Amino acid sequence: MLLAKTLRSSTFKLALIWIGIFGALVLALLGYVYWSTAAYVREKADRAIAAEEMILRNVYDSAGRDGLIAAIKDRVAPGRSESGVYLLADPSFAPVAGNLEAWPAALKESGAWYDLGAREWKPDAADRPVLRATFDTLPDGYHLLVGKNADNLDAFTRKIEVALLLGVSLMFVLAGVASVSVTRRTVGRIEAINATSRSIMQSGLGKRIPLRGTRDEWDQLAENLNSMLDRVEALMAEVKQVSDNVAHDLRTPLTRMRGRLEKAYDRPHNSNYDHALIGDTMADLDAVLRMFSSLTRISQIETGDRTSAFRTVNLAEIASEVVELFDAAAEDKRVHLDAVVDRRVVVTGDRDLLFDAVANLVDNAIKYGGEAGRVTVEVARNDDGAVIAVADDGPGIPDDECQHVFKRFYRLERSRHTPGNGLGLSLVAAVARLHGARIEMVDNRPGLKCLLRFPSPAMS
Amino acid sequence: MLRSHTFECALHIDWERYEIMGEGRRRLLVIEDDPETAEQLVDFLSTSGYQVDLAADGNEGLSRGRSADYAVMTIDRMLPDIDGLAVIRRFRDDGIVTPALIISALGEIDDRVRGLRAGGDDYLVKPFAFAELLARVEALARRSATVVKETVLRVGDLELDLVARTATRGGRKIELLPREFQVLEYLVRNDGRVVPRAMLLQHVWDLHFDPTTNIIDVYVGRVRRKVDSQQAYPLIHTIRGIGFCVRAPS
Repeated sequence: MLLAKTLRSSTFKLALIWIGIFGALVLALLGYVYWSTAAYVREKADRAIAAEEMILRNVYDSAGRDGLIAAIKDRVAPGRSESGVYLLADPSFAPVAGNLEAWPAALKESGAWYDLGAREWKPDAADRPVLRATFDTLPDGYHLLVGKNADNLDAFTRKIEVALLLGVSLMFVLAGVASVSVTRRTVGRIEAINATSRSIMQSGLGKRIPLRGTRDEWDQLAENLNSMLDRVEALMAEVKQVSDNVAHDLRTPLTRMRGRLEKAYDRPHNSNYDHALIGDTMADLDAVLRMFSSLTRISQIETGDRTSAFRTVNLAEIASEVVELFDAAAEDKRVHLDAVVDRRVVVTGDRDLLFDAVANLVDNAIKYGGEAGRVTVEVARNDDGAVIAVADDGPGIPDDECQHVFKRFYRLERSRHTPGNGLGLSLVAAVARLHGARIEMVDNRPGLKCLLRFPSPAMS
Repeated sequence: MLRSHTFECALHIDWERYEIMGEGRRRLLVIEDDPETAEQLVDFLSTSGYQVDLAADGNEGLSRGRSADYAVMTIDRMLPDIDGLAVIRRFRDDGIVTPALIISALGEIDDRVRGLRAGGDDYLVKPFAFAELLARVEALARRSATVVKETVLRVGDLELDLVARTATRGGRKIELLPREFQVLEYLVRNDGRVVPRAMLLQHVWDLHFDPTTNIIDVYVGRVRRKVDSQQAYPLIHTIRGIGFCVRAPS
């Protein structure tokens, strides 16, 4: 299974292609070495033969044919060089002197070089040795053949051949083995990732890719994929939580509306009663629709890229306007609402969204800060960037609730009876995330202080 | 019960006023593919004093829009053949500048929506209250009409001096914050018409979103206390779930 995958893998195919290319180059290089070595060795042998022939020719010139015959006889006498081959033949190629029994039929043109197989010059011998020879026709019509048993030469080139062939095949085998083992390792790691993906598709997001603890690039990939899966799992849980809450928060008003309509359907029609009923039902519907628009607004902020619409906005101005807008609401609850702002604190952002976020924080502070309390909106610029803080002196929230209040539909128990849908702080969180701002909730002793810290423009 | 009553009162009298005002039967083009929504729109807008033509898809809308002169058109954003925004773009390419109200089931956190509003068109998210639709159509229809430069606005015994930025009712000065004056001015300018909350926020605060809290109601509530308390009759009416309306008894 793994082997079949290894052989199919693209890494392996790539390795094969490179082995082919390098193999061809090595073969060409070694072929050239072989060819030039063999040519050099042969040339050396030929020069020796030519020198011998020249000596004999000089003997002939100075001592005549008889002198030549004597010299040949001397050279072929037992105990002399074994490798030299000589033959003097008359004009009709009949042997006169030498260690060759007959004139080889292949030799016809004087001055040319010949390679003769064993059968052609030593019919009784086996395959070898090979004879390298040339001949010259003397002025009196006799033919002088000088040659050399080329067996040494042949054995030498054969050795080179064997060495080269062995080397090349060893290279191919090793390269093949290396590429299979490397590919197999890659395929094994990928297969682990694939297996995890398959089991996630089948049985849910619980599975993770096993790490080998080698800290190599594969482990890093697996780690990254695993943390991505963690994030996806968390998001899925959040989505599920949200849809459960939507279902719950929808059922309540829908049940009320249905019950009301059912009652109206059954009883005789009465204009005053029906009117009130329709009015109440429309109010309930409006609440449901408001919840929907809040939800879509949050998800649009979270998913959409609105940074292209960012402008320079003055947080101080926004804070003052929000405070002014909420002045009436604060008055109703006898809350003292004021703003402590630096004159100009600018950030890059979306005015509508920032206004909405600050408005939500102030709304919460007035709603939950307690009757006749004090709510302060502070805007300041410090070294790290701009900060906007909304503080109340109400009961605050317990430390362990701080991380939950930004979740959609999350409401503290004590706020269940106040109007609201638990989406306000989720919107604040979404807007903050869009602007790269950090939200902090701190104890205002007494009360709650909610801070939005914006990064300084140089950093963002 | 009491609030329901206000609601009925304001809506009813509203429609009557359009006929009293005798602005004539202006023509509207409604481009909407859902038959029931289309019927409701046509029915409602006709009752409100408009002559309404209906187109069931983008192409029909384009040909109708090119062949007649309309005061305003309402365009569904998701039509079966052409995107509603594309319909507007084609009208503009042809030099037809009729203001358009896009009606959409998509949210309004979208740069294109801002573009629309900046370009003199408007955007309304489904589902909507008919009163809000009418208010927006009215606002668009008026945009093309000439604006009279008044220095004093009057409704009933309320008088707004736009130069001195002061308000008096029955001769007695009403103490208003600058922003409160702006709110009252916008409502009085739209005297007799329903002003949705989002439109008020848009024109007075230059904010382009529909607040999910009741903060605008609370704010206008304070303006109303200053304007209407200890008076013979109320001028500022709340239209529940939609917005406000300034109206003197006829």
